[in-house]
Amino acid sequence: MMDIQKIIQGINHLKPIPEVANQVMLLAQGPEICMSKMAEIITYDQILTANLLKTCNLAFFSMPKKIDSVHQAIVLMGIERVVELVWMSGGAENLRKKQDGYDLGEGDLWRYSVSSALIARELAETKRLENPHLIFTATLLKDIGKVVLSQHVADSFHKINFLVSKRGYSFREAEKLVIGIDHAEVGAAAAEKWGFSPKMVELIRNHHLPEDSSNIDTDTSIVYLADTLCMMIGVGVGSDGLAYRFRRDVVDHLGFSDRDIQKVMAGFGEKLRKVEDLLHAS
Amino acid sequence: MKVTKDPESVLVTYSLGSCIGVAIWDRVAHVGGMLHYMLPESLLDQAKAQSNPFMFADTGIPALFKAAYGLGAKKQHMKVIVVGGAQVLDQQGFFDIGKRNHMAVRKIFWKNNVMIDYENVGGNTNRTLKLMVRDGKTWLKVPGQGVKEI
Repeated sequence: MMDIQKIIQGINHLKPIPEVANQVMLLAQGPEICMSKMAEIITYDQILTANLLKTCNLAFFSMPKKIDSVHQAIVLMGIERVVELVWMSGGAENLRKKQDGYDLGEGDLWRYSVSSALIARELAETKRLENPHLIFTATLLKDIGKVVLSQHVADSFHKINFLVSKRGYSFREAEKLVIGIDHAEVGAAAAEKWGFSPKMVELIRNHHLPEDSSNIDTDTSIVYLADTLCMMIGVGVGSDGLAYRFRRDVVDHLGFSDRDIQKVMAGFGEKLRKVEDLLHAS
Repeated sequence: MKVTKDPESVLVTYSLGSCIGVAIWDRVAHVGGMLHYMLPESLLDQAKAQSNPFMFADTGIPALFKAAYGLGAKKQHMKVIVVGGAQVLDQQGFFDIGKRNHMAVRKIFWKNNVMIDYENVGGNTNRTLKLMVRDGKTWLKVPGQGVKEI
């Protein structure tokens, strides 16, 4: 077991998510959404604005005309999409790097994060949830703890892998047993430190669902299911592979049939090439 | 899906989770092919099966072989490799796409008298498969376990 506090201090080496991301999320969740206020906040950050405009104009979004201002982006794409893109821009730098502990090459974790977030949003919209952009964002950043834990996983990989391959542990359970903390807990600690909403912190903490959990709320279930589907599709998956637990009760509770789930997978499969464009631009 | 007889080509399918990768290589015609399919049955969505037949086992596998035959390959000269079909822990049959993907290829091959030369399926690891068209050499990569020639 390692010094947990020392491991958590590794969060200080992450590039913090810009404050503007929290601000636009708060604005989007407020009772009255002011488009010009949101455009103003984003425009203060020139790099973010440039990234946002570049991404908006990708084929992925199939916009009818070229977008050349933040205000226009909000009007044409909607506030929710713009919030998602702001968070993508904020999370990209940390999540793009290679993570040796999980045997993830450069871009793999980013590919996985964006793909699972897109799946989560689709599931959230299917269920007509109130905050699909919150679910998108939590899913996007749910594995930020892997960036902090990667070196510790590398140092203990043989022990972790033994527990997973020979003793039936999930990868998260093995991380917790060997290192003393798992990547979901480290991710939640980072989210707390950066001042994310309590709801987002909990979604990140519970994205693999604690074993003894019952009465799991719908938002958490959606993040969990999106993560599971993404590892099954296999976009940017590392040495932890599919070694996480499947919870049929959670999928049943959401009311998705086997056919519904396969349709989501097929729909995502069809978009994969466009998703690659999105990954490289954001 | 890709099928070629260009000896310089290296065919790769990355990060197979519950999907299946099928690699074929004709040792006489030196034709190589690779398919990465995601789901077992095209009945799920006929429109998607038309626009992307390689997404499904029952449309993708025939298309792979047909394309290889078109370049002069013959079934009796083929090396056939099947990898992928992993599962999440505790799926216990429910929504077990990996297993169904595997059963789909076995069924199609059985019906068409295709022998599998190497198979590495199931478990909970994801896999990457690479084929050199020049000599049919094939490698399997499992994250955390390295690369091995098969």
